[in-house]
Amino acid sequence: MIQGLAIGVLSAGLLLGAWTGIQGWRRRPTTEAQMVGAIIVEAALLVQTVIAIVQLVGGRELAEPVTFVAYSVGILLPLPLGFYLARIERTRWGSLSLCFTAVVVAVMTLRLMQLWQAPVG
Amino acid sequence: MSDQSAVNPDAVAQEDDSPPTGPRRVLIALYAVFALAATARGIVQIATKFDEAPVAYLLSLFSGLVYIAATVGLVTDRRWSRPLAWAAVGTEMVGVVTIGLASIFDSTAFPHDTVWSRFGAGYGYVPIILPVLGLMWLWQTRPQQKESAAAN
Repeated sequence: MIQGLAIGVLSAGLLLGAWTGIQGWRRRPTTEAQMVGAIIVEAALLVQTVIAIVQLVGGRELAEPVTFVAYSVGILLPLPLGFYLARIERTRWGSLSLCFTAVVVAVMTLRLMQLWQAPVG
Repeated sequence: MSDQSAVNPDAVAQEDDSPPTGPRRVLIALYAVFALAATARGIVQIATKFDEAPVAYLLSLFSGLVYIAATVGLVTDRRWSRPLAWAAVGTEMVGVVTIGLASIFDSTAFPHDTVWSRFGAGYGYVPIILPVLGLMWLWQTRPQQKESAAAN
């Protein structure tokens, strides 16, 4: 993992969560910009997962490699779900769905960073 | 369930509780994420260190299956969907309270965390809030009420 990218993804997830959360609070469906934002965050997640897997294959030792891989792959799933729900549910509830999944992505990124840095052995 | 909300993209004027599909979709997001988290966690625990705490890890997997059942009950719209959702969310409520209490009063019996340990503190206490929301939604949208709402 690249720390700068991870922190960027974490911040972006929180930002998207706050943004769509406010949108839900204001009883509005997600905007075009928010949907684009979700796609950008998802793309960054994909890049991050690929980099991490390459580093793992390259010989990086981890305390819990299975958990790390599960998180790396699992982190790609929430945002597409939130995106889909926000698209079919053009109300505040769609905004809140995307909000929740964006926050989940931020939390999972934090957990990934912990797993990456946990001492081996 | 009909998707009336899609017809009206400008939902600003809509009442909070008028489209029953809306809250359900937030619940779907919540339950699907927890289904993934708990099931994956249970599988990883059982695959890598089952001998350390078989009961706790089986419980992890069980909680994952309960979340999957609840998600299926919420996503589908069949005759069995609602009973399945009631059963799954009810089981979840009992599970999180029982395991939550057990993990606090007898922490030696539950040294290994599950999603429900300490009322889901490791997951921002969402696991204790989720079944309350689920039961509230199931109760609010129960069939009788839907008919009277349609009459208005």
